[in-house]
Amino acid sequence: MGKEESFTRIIKENEGLIFKITTIYTENGQDQKDLYQEIVYQLWKSYDSFRNESKISTWMYRIALNTAIGQLKKSKKHSNKTGIDQVVLRQTESYDTEFENRLKMVYEQIHQLNILEKGLILLLLEGKKYGEIAEITGLSETNVGTRISRIKQKLKSRILKK
Amino acid sequence: MDLEEIQTVWSEMTDQLEKQKKLTTELIMKMTQERYRTKFDKITFYETIGAVVCFVMALYLLVNINKLDTWYLMACGIFTIALLLILPVITLRLLGKIQRMNIVKNSFKETIVSYTKTKNQLLLMQRVGIYLSFVLMFTCLPVFSKIMNNKDLFLQGKIWLTYIPVMVIFLFLFTRWGYKCYKNITNSAENILKELET
Repeated sequence: MGKEESFTRIIKENEGLIFKITTIYTENGQDQKDLYQEIVYQLWKSYDSFRNESKISTWMYRIALNTAIGQLKKSKKHSNKTGIDQVVLRQTESYDTEFENRLKMVYEQIHQLNILEKGLILLLLEGKKYGEIAEITGLSETNVGTRISRIKQKLKSRILKK
Repeated sequence: MDLEEIQTVWSEMTDQLEKQKKLTTELIMKMTQERYRTKFDKITFYETIGAVVCFVMALYLLVNINKLDTWYLMACGIFTIALLLILPVITLRLLGKIQRMNIVKNSFKETIVSYTKTKNQLLLMQRVGIYLSFVLMFTCLPVFSKIMNNKDLFLQGKIWLTYIPVMVIFLFLFTRWGYKCYKNITNSAENILKELET
């Protein structure tokens, strides 16, 4: 299988993952689109250096999250915000408004976290074990555990305040 | 909404996204092309244009520096040239540092630390730049007046009587606003650094 073929296959298999990262690290549709393209570009650029030393998902999360951090500097300057409702989920024929509202609430909670916490909660929600989260983030496993329980408390206290 | 509920909604969304595959091979390969990139290049583009304007002005002053015939005009001239050269170089270097971050080898933690530190330096630089540009307004006006019209503004008190008070009021209001914005951004950045470095 050629380089282009294997790369596009990987991207197609993980397009949802990139979409989720771009949603939590941007605040409007244009920024999200830009970040999506930048992540795919960075993945392509580093594809040669990826030699199956780590799991493909670990490599993808690392590049995508690092790219998202590097893109943050521009987001605050944009004024043409389109609002979260347009980026939550790509709409289909069987569109569920109630689910969309719940999803919106989830994103609202995540958007209030800081850049590190956003990455950690994403990995946790993606079902990653503490060991893999530690490998992607560069934190120790114990540290990951501590921070995640802090995030849980943060989320809980926000609910109580509401 | 607790974490368990968030987890349920997240899983449901993941399932739905799986069913909504949208990317085509052509679109993916288009995204890998350099020319397809939009946002990243724009930032340095505007900064570079600004830097070129500053360098052209500095060059113009350098070529005409012999027209500054008193010590105070010469001092203002040298200060203006130095500022026009140094400020854009530092800003471009810091922007370049963010873009050169090794996103392949660095862990997420290292990227956040490096990004936050550079961003803080950039913000500090922008703040210093704002203050210095006010000083620049005082120094470049007499320098350009001398070079372009052969007039020594320091000998014409009337202009300074209106220019200085207006500038002081403007400076006071602008710096108060600038300090607030700066403090809010750096406070949150410092909190993350503290968290990561402990």
